[in-house]
Amino acid sequence: MSFTLEQSPTTGDEVISNYTINFGPQHPAAHGVLRMVLELDGELIERVDCHVGLLHRGTEKLIEHKTYLQALPYFDRLDYCSPLGMEHSYVLAVEKLLNVEVPIRAQYLRVLFAELTRICNHMLNMGSHVMDVGAMTPNLWLFEIREDCLNFFERASGARMHSAWFRPGGVHQDVPQDLLDDIDAWLDTRLKPLFEDAMSLVVDNRIFKQRNVDIALVSKEDALAWGFSGPMIRAAGIPWDLRKSQPYDVYDRMDFEIPVGTRSDCYDRFMVRVEEVRQSARIIRQCIAEMPSGPIASDDRKVAPPKRAEMKSSMESLIHHFKLYTEGFHVPAGEVYVATESPKGEFGVYLVSDGSNKPYRCKIRPTAFSHLQAMDFMCKGHMLPDATAILGAIDVVFGECDR
Amino acid sequence: MTVLHSAPRMAPNDGVIDAVTQTLGGKLLAAREEHGEIILTVARDQIGTCLAALRDTHEYQQLMEIAGADYPSRAERFDVVYMLLSVTRNHRLIVKVTASESTPVPTVTHLWPNAGWLEREVFDLYGVIFEGNTDLRRILTDYGFEGHPFRKDFPLTGYVELRYSEEDKRVVYEPVKLAQDLRQFDFMSPWEGADYVLPGDEKATPTTAAPTPKATESKAQTGAGDKANEKAADKASTGAPAVEPIAKADPAPPEKTDSRPKKGDKA
Amino acid sequence: MSTLVNSAGQPLAAGQTVTAPDQGFFNDINAEVHDKGFLVTSTEELFQWARTGSLWWMTFGLACCAVEMIHVNMPRYDMERFGVAPRASPRQSDVMIVAGTLCNKMAPALRKVYDQMSDPKYVISMGSCANGGGYYHYSYSVVRGCDRIVPVDIYVPGCPPTAEALLYGVMQLQRKIRRVGTIER
Repeated sequence: MSFTLEQSPTTGDEVISNYTINFGPQHPAAHGVLRMVLELDGELIERVDCHVGLLHRGTEKLIEHKTYLQALPYFDRLDYCSPLGMEHSYVLAVEKLLNVEVPIRAQYLRVLFAELTRICNHMLNMGSHVMDVGAMTPNLWLFEIREDCLNFFERASGARMHSAWFRPGGVHQDVPQDLLDDIDAWLDTRLKPLFEDAMSLVVDNRIFKQRNVDIALVSKEDALAWGFSGPMIRAAGIPWDLRKSQPYDVYDRMDFEIPVGTRSDCYDRFMVRVEEVRQSARIIRQCIAEMPSGPIASDDRKVAPPKRAEMKSSMESLIHHFKLYTEGFHVPAGEVYVATESPKGEFGVYLVSDGSNKPYRCKIRPTAFSHLQAMDFMCKGHMLPDATAILGAIDVVFGECDR
Repeated sequence: MTVLHSAPRMAPNDGVIDAVTQTLGGKLLAAREEHGEIILTVARDQIGTCLAALRDTHEYQQLMEIAGADYPSRAERFDVVYMLLSVTRNHRLIVKVTASESTPVPTVTHLWPNAGWLEREVFDLYGVIFEGNTDLRRILTDYGFEGHPFRKDFPLTGYVELRYSEEDKRVVYEPVKLAQDLRQFDFMSPWEGADYVLPGDEKATPTTAAPTPKATESKAQTGAGDKANEKAADKASTGAPAVEPIAKADPAPPEKTDSRPKKGDKA
Repeated sequence: MSTLVNSAGQPLAAGQTVTAPDQGFFNDINAEVHDKGFLVTSTEELFQWARTGSLWWMTFGLACCAVEMIHVNMPRYDMERFGVAPRASPRQSDVMIVAGTLCNKMAPALRKVYDQMSDPKYVISMGSCANGGGYYHYSYSVVRGCDRIVPVDIYVPGCPPTAEALLYGVMQLQRKIRRVGTIER
């Protein structure tokens, strides 16, 4: 038996071998339940192995066991920072299979609330991003905006977060004019001062720039090849926004601009989101100004339920209501892939119907999957503390990533 | 069909199938347009070259998604579905291949690096093997998970569940035991489609009947002898008074039992 | 005679009563402190009082409920006025808020974090997923209630519970600590 005496690498200073650290799954900067196995060379990241699936809830399998309407609230719970953005893809996919017409007011309402959701989502993301790189105050102010947004959701649907308010054929309930007026006023009195104040602390902040500028550069070619979307691809300099290029609902009537980054670093990703909030406010203002009155759900009684008052007097309405909430509606056989511009990027739903009242297969295309996968090549050569900035700029939420 | 819905409106599909057919030729097995989507089915072993051709000559730069789907009734039960997006032509394409448990699908990680995780996911959830993917580990399910949960024959509630064991001082897996079963309703009308026994009906199943009903055609067949035949020929029911019910002796009351067992009777 | 008003400043409706804080109790304590310069109590009561006043919680945000958990710490609800502050390290925290769906893959990590917390420790289960699986109860990959993994003191219902509901849950935990002291396990 022979013994070899090991030289301690720290004393000799000649050889420092790579070492591996475990980041997460319980880490405040992991934005949820991400586990990363980081291979480090000193403080430089050599390799990142992301372990996802720690929040894998089997959503797609559960959806196969629910009717189309019962499956809807699962979408709220996917990306819980922007619930209505998730619902949007799903209801549009179902409507595409059904080929059902949505009243114009419902389309406006959807766009309005989708944009409110975008603001809500970006507040959380930007707040946590600046917090990850060391600033506290902006987060407190941005959450005040978020709190206002949640109040608006509550006034529209009754729930602060998981609204389940977009329904196939329209929206669940109409909103009172007061709410629209309040949102309109809120854009000036609350959003603007709070948001611009918070941003004035961040965007020109030296520390913030030191932590973000030139971190995780991604070329246009890489952004395309890795399947980037949303603010990630726009920061890379590609003006690709599904709201503009493949407009859905009434986005084609809206006048807004797509912010595009120039350097494709974490700072650009942040600034793209900052500008998106301002553009979202523009869209909301247009929606409120142009919104016509009228019905808020399709009058196809095989898809959308009748009004409560109608049910009191009409037997047929009662039957429709009963059938819709027990059996649900049947969707013609076929398959569609519908993707919308969620606040985080392209959120797609691949829906296969076999003609019954339950989806045969519902594949959810999460935005975070492609982005998180690129962590490895984006982190390579950067310092360990940069990993949190990169992660913050990706805007990853695990409810959606792991499903 | 007029488009009534308000789903995303991309560039029109006109002529896309023809152009793609020209490029792919024999590798393209089927192409159809349905609900505004173009769905191509290609040969499994040619998926790499097909997608490369679509990417390079038809400008479908982005692979957005790889989805699996399970159709247990087919010989090659799995669909592997690739969603392609062209940001220059503003168009989407769905490309499909079929596969079974034992037929591997060639990987496309050399075309798009993000296919790595997408293929891992399909492998994890469906058990489709991707040939050439060097990192085909499970991705979403638990470390050491057994089975492929999204197959249609995998039960929704799975086979095992977790709890913390105070004896072992660790988290252990146990066979799943539900306090209340998952309730599954189907809404087929029992008068139309249902081809199964309705719940509760199994109690009412009659005892097995003979294949052909047995009937006696002549008196000789009754087998009870002439006397009985004569009796049977005599139609008692016609105009006869109602037969009095046969008087039955009342059953004797049960024997009395002791109100409490005697001492020393403990069994 | 002045009219009675309720906490919102509105005149009382018929049948409503006002329960004012027990002024006599405060007067007595005040008098005692002024008289002697100190208060006498049992150490146990003192510890319980201290524990309720500084419940540092372990941020165990798992899913949707984590967002509401952050909201309750933000200026609008400001949980820190109850001495309840977030800690990222299990060694320094007293209470763990399990906020969100607990999945099979995450369960060992949850238990490990719980084991690392120093005694006395408490667990608040937040939301229907943590309480019993909720909307994901029948899934193959979800733990049907985090009480299968760790002992739970307070269950907060809702999907997700509003920030107010969680705040109420924390106050309930404070009451529980005051009532039963250290929970023996």
